[in-house]
Amino acid sequence: MTAVRGTGTGPGPGDLPERHRVVLTGLGVVSSIGLGVKEFLQGLQEGRSGARPITVFETEGFAHANGCEITEFDPQDWIRTLEVEQLGRAAQFSAAAARMALEDSGLDPEVLSDRRGLISIGTTDGESYDLDQLVESELADGTGRFDPAAARRVPAGRLSVAIAQELGLSNVEALTIPTACSAGNYAIGYGFDAVSSGEAEFAFCGGADAMCRKTFTGFYRLGTIAPDRCQPFDVNRKGILTGEGAGVLVLERLDSALERGATIYAEVLGYGLNCDAHHQVAPDRDSVAGLMRLALDNAGVEPHEVDLISAHGTGTKANDITEAGAIRQVFGDSPPRTVSMKSMLGHSMGAASALGAIGCALAIQNRFIPPTINHVTTDPECDVDCVPNKAVEADLRIVQNNGLAFGGNNAAVLLGRYDSGVDHAANREAIKEAS
Amino acid sequence: MSTATRDDRLVTIKEIVCDILEIEEDEVSEVSLFKEDHDADSLRAIEILAALEKEFGVVINQSELPRMVNLKGVYEVVSEPAGW
Repeated sequence: MTAVRGTGTGPGPGDLPERHRVVLTGLGVVSSIGLGVKEFLQGLQEGRSGARPITVFETEGFAHANGCEITEFDPQDWIRTLEVEQLGRAAQFSAAAARMALEDSGLDPEVLSDRRGLISIGTTDGESYDLDQLVESELADGTGRFDPAAARRVPAGRLSVAIAQELGLSNVEALTIPTACSAGNYAIGYGFDAVSSGEAEFAFCGGADAMCRKTFTGFYRLGTIAPDRCQPFDVNRKGILTGEGAGVLVLERLDSALERGATIYAEVLGYGLNCDAHHQVAPDRDSVAGLMRLALDNAGVEPHEVDLISAHGTGTKANDITEAGAIRQVFGDSPPRTVSMKSMLGHSMGAASALGAIGCALAIQNRFIPPTINHVTTDPECDVDCVPNKAVEADLRIVQNNGLAFGGNNAAVLLGRYDSGVDHAANREAIKEAS
Repeated sequence: MSTATRDDRLVTIKEIVCDILEIEEDEVSEVSLFKEDHDADSLRAIEILAALEKEFGVVINQSELPRMVNLKGVYEVVSEPAGW
């Protein structure tokens, strides 16, 4: 397969190889503010909150236990090939979101089954909800009484393999990427590389996680669970709410999307990732700034060209101040508007940056900026325009989606409005030559 | 715990702290600093807090962590909710 980018300049020594332009043509969403891309879009436009009292596990003994739980999801509505009992809650989310993304893309699964593809799904916890139950039964009855069906659901690799099985895609690499809270962006980056290089003709990428007691308790013990709501960048922010869900994006080459007349939500311009291993839980400002520079360089985008940042924005003291500081390091004293969708969705862990990327694509396509809800007073130490409480209209050309994770696993994705006149890959090379 | 003396309780606290910081009990004194002298970090501090809550059946607010820099500080913080 040959690269189709028409600059006429081949890759020289040290240059990045030529690559295909990659676009998003299908989106699937399982979220606490709406199922399916239409509901999700509406939720973002309205500034809907997914916060409610947690019911999926026992919360007795905790002083407060709100979360962004998905309450109206029936896996049978989406999953047709597999038996839902064989899938853990997170795999049900990922398979359902993939089914939605496939239908949204208009791609024919029969045609896809003949083509080389990639499935990459990021996660924090895999099927830790099932692990919670297994441990509980082990404590009560010993290991011999494990529910064998639950034990079979546990391996995190199921999150991506279930998509291949559900959609009947056998000529794919199916990969689950366990880089925690930025894993959705890692998965999109991997899909971008596969499709832009020509190794895969399509990719289903994203992230999935289900709420579990283990993660809630861990964050609670760290003192990072907010009592009732998530308030990113607010001076009185008190932490995260744990959430759940899945976001799956269909990536394909621009030429194949144009050929079949597909709806193009946005173009994937590039991504960056780094891992600093600085601290288990504390983010490192210089490293986060370095990550954003890597992503911008990879996308061929200058900082001043970015119209919006979808922040990691967890609503903890440490994250928001560190991330805002890193944004200033890269973007200067007048950074682009910087919003946190976690104010609405809570922290859906491995799904978070996938849902964030979908939100960015929808923002570009529908010309608006999703708000940061629950906002009262901006923390002067963060000092970003977080578009408080109400969505605003905006003509967005380039949007950056951040994901930061424990251990300093950071990843950012750059999306752009698809515009036939602009070739960011050519810009990237021009920037390289100029520097 | 009502019959325990201050020394008894300090022994228990010391055991908890040394177990979590992975240090020998003769390395730590009442005033040696967890962070500066024993390489503790914020996560270890929370582990210590959680273990103390469990051992003594009390609730300790995380805002007390800055006072819990050594065994003496920990004793003072735990003594308040425990009513020692």
